Amino acid sequence: MKQKLQEPPGINCKMKMNPDRISNLPDNIIEGILSHLPISDAVRTSLLSSKWRYKWATVPYLVFDDRFYLFSSRNKAAINSKIVSIVDRVLLLHLGPIQKFELSHREFLAVSDIDRWILHLSRSSIESIVLEICKGEAYRMPSCLFSCQSLTNLELRKCSLKPPSGFKGFRKLKKLDLQYVTFDQDVFENLISSCPDLERLYLRDIVGLSRIKVNVPKLQVFIFEGFIEDISFENTFNLAEVVFSYYENAKNTQSQALDNSSNLLKFFVNLSNIEMLRLNDYSLKYLAVGIGPHKLPQPCIKLHNLTMYINLNNFEESITSLSLLSSTPNLEEIEITVCPDEQAVDGIDTNFWQDGCWNCSFDKLRFVMITGISGAKPELDFMKFLISNSPVLERMEVTPASTSVRWELVTKLLSFRRASNRAEIIYMDP
Amino acid sequence: MSEGVMAVVKPEMKSYIWLQTADGSIQQVEEEVAMFCPMICREIIQTGMGTSKNFAISLPQRVNPAILGLILDYCRFHQVPGRSNKERKTYDEKFIRMDTKKLCELTSAADSLQLKPLVDLTSRALARIIEGKTPEEIRETFHLPDDLTEEEKLEPLRNITDDPRIRLLNRLYARKRKELKEREKLKNVEVEEERVDERSVEDLLTFINGGDGDSKGSRTNKNKKKNRRRKDLKSSSNDVYGDNNKDLDDLCPAFHDISVASPSKSSSFSPKLEFDDADNDDDLDPAMKEELDREVEDFARRLNSDWKERRQEILSLGQERRLVPMSMNGNVRLPDRKGVPLWHLYIDVCVCVSCRMFSSLFLFANFFTWFIVHVLPMKLLSVWTRDSDLLLELFVFRMSSSSFERIGKMLACGLLLQKLWRSWQYFYASAARREKDSWRREKQENQDDKMSKCAPFVSRLFVVAVACYFPATDVG
Repeated sequence: MKQKLQEPPGINCKMKMNPDRISNLPDNIIEGILSHLPISDAVRTSLLSSKWRYKWATVPYLVFDDRFYLFSSRNKAAINSKIVSIVDRVLLLHLGPIQKFELSHREFLAVSDIDRWILHLSRSSIESIVLEICKGEAYRMPSCLFSCQSLTNLELRKCSLKPPSGFKGFRKLKKLDLQYVTFDQDVFENLISSCPDLERLYLRDIVGLSRIKVNVPKLQVFIFEGFIEDISFENTFNLAEVVFSYYENAKNTQSQALDNSSNLLKFFVNLSNIEMLRLNDYSLKYLAVGIGPHKLPQPCIKLHNLTMYINLNNFEESITSLSLLSSTPNLEEIEITVCPDEQAVDGIDTNFWQDGCWNCSFDKLRFVMITGISGAKPELDFMKFLISNSPVLERMEVTPASTSVRWELVTKLLSFRRASNRAEIIYMDP
Repeated sequence: MSEGVMAVVKPEMKSYIWLQTADGSIQQVEEEVAMFCPMICREIIQTGMGTSKNFAISLPQRVNPAILGLILDYCRFHQVPGRSNKERKTYDEKFIRMDTKKLCELTSAADSLQLKPLVDLTSRALARIIEGKTPEEIRETFHLPDDLTEEEKLEPLRNITDDPRIRLLNRLYARKRKELKEREKLKNVEVEEERVDERSVEDLLTFINGGDGDSKGSRTNKNKKKNRRRKDLKSSSNDVYGDNNKDLDDLCPAFHDISVASPSKSSSFSPKLEFDDADNDDDLDPAMKEELDREVEDFARRLNSDWKERRQEILSLGQERRLVPMSMNGNVRLPDRKGVPLWHLYIDVCVCVSCRMFSSLFLFANFFTWFIVHVLPMKLLSVWTRDSDLLLELFVFRMSSSSFERIGKMLACGLLLQKLWRSWQYFYASAARREKDSWRREKQENQDDKMSKCAPFVSRLFVVAVACYFPATDVG
């Protein structure tokens, strides 16, 4: 869009009147600007003027995500080879250290070029590697990955890790996010325990592990999704946030009856400093296995936010949740999702929640959210139990599973005796 | 520390810090506001300056008074602790709405004052400005000198992402560079060059259309827009349209005449594109150019012939095209997105009306040909969504009317509305694809969403309204 009056180069008087503001900004600002651009736009700035020719090459972030290139063809092989060639060229033209490298394009199929790239990255003191392979087989990560000692963030999807024998761990690793990663049992434990600074650990759908012992002193956030036979925490006194989503697996119901130790105990034995807990999917069912204690040995006094998926028709789950609730006196927010009963009803005592001997008092509970209510008696009893034991309750939101139980539910909700005089019980439409 | 001194002077008991910019002017600012800025904060704590006018803190050179005012506004808003994140975000959005020159100055000033949140905010704003633009547009926005040599621009390592647009751009830049050099040699004003171009384009047009005097005038009107502005857009889209036309022609040879009518909406751009590119892009396949020439001529004739001729042509199904060579007169405004579908719409409406006037036999014939002309090509092109299809058919069958007129009218109205919306969508989408402004793309996406949501609804509504309004006249 050149204006007619724009001078051809060589005549500088016009340039002085309209000075170029942006090229003279300090380098760190220009790097900041370019790092906010998607990589294709950043590289295109090399066409702008002679000063801008290599400004993009020093930006230390290389992000090849879903948007980085619009592929016109549908041919998978062509797309893959194009991705490979682009990443190759960018890596070759890049100057200076690379701090962050991400390759998470949806159509990317793992190829052996990844080895070469990881080698290049390991030579340039990389701090964050994100490699998400969405299609194809799990890729075996090269051993040069384990020589990236300045790594602080590692995120892998659909890979398999096998560290070399002399591997001493990632000294500076703070966040580890593994999804669909294949491990050997001892490899995993070595890896975890040899990263002393690890603060966040996310494990999703890990393959090849039967038990996990989380022994990371500085761990603050732990997220687990998948299926495991045994999980326990050791030495995790900084752990503040745990998200545990346990997937149901048909095989596990037999093996758990072997030892009678309570999963709940094992899980919570070292989690006394926990602040936020989410037990999603079938986690409560997992925790309910074994003979549970009446109360946890050490109450979780810092726990202020609890999310649970519970099947209120199931006796074990109800007992487990009760033990949990009675060990968490300082709860401030509870979010409960009621799961429908899939199997035949375990004979639950219909007055389970009404018994006055469960004396827990939620002195700080202010906010309750319950979803999936279908109007059954245990559910209503549970809600009554919560309300009548919460002297400072401010708000309770109830969302039914369907609209068919509307009026009965509302009338019953209104009739609950409330311990708090400020409580609002709000019915939300599903 | 400054409170003791200031308390005497200021009745509100607020303490002020004195700041001096590079040009010597001194400002005073509330202490909390100034302390939000790390550099000033450090100066106060370490050196104790800023308490009075004589000991004002001197700010770095990059901060001038106007920019300092902006920065202090920012600090004043954000240092209040009680604001929610949403409020801060809204304020930030409004704050960075300024021209790019000021934005650059603000960025550099904020950087020298080490006010990191403001640096991030302005950097992100500048990145948003740069994102999605062509290098030319960026150069114009920021007044960057275009001082890369032609070879440097054409170096293959430039084209890292292998964007065909960049390849084309490089080619065009090379050409432009050549022209600039020529211009320097001649020391000529650029306007004359432009006119020379236009004339050659007109020559081409007249050659195609058989030498109509009017076309020259209209051509200059149309080509008032700079060729260069649309160069890269058109050349790339030309490939697209050329391919489309070829594909469609291959698909339905029997309905060649008719099917060309529908995709000719897409080739409506090609005339303007064609003329400009004929001059500028020598690399276009000459076969494709001929194809496009033919399309152009065909379309022009189609638009300007009146209904009777057209109906004859359609009814005969496959007559060769060499009819009266119509010229494109000035009332065909091609590159406008609204021009072409409206003409189609008018013709369709005329047919609707004429439906009423003719006898039943003729009605039947009209309806039938109508069906063939509009429904089948549409189906072939699969432009319709399935649900509106079904609904229209439902309407047709549920209407217990024996009158073809009603059905025909209703169908026609529904169909033409569909066509209208679809063609609108298509044009807008293709226009947006060609234009590189990302904001326009977003706007178009919004429009697309809106349109795709309301198009079936509106067309159904219209169908119902029409069906209810027009009285059923029984066929005799």
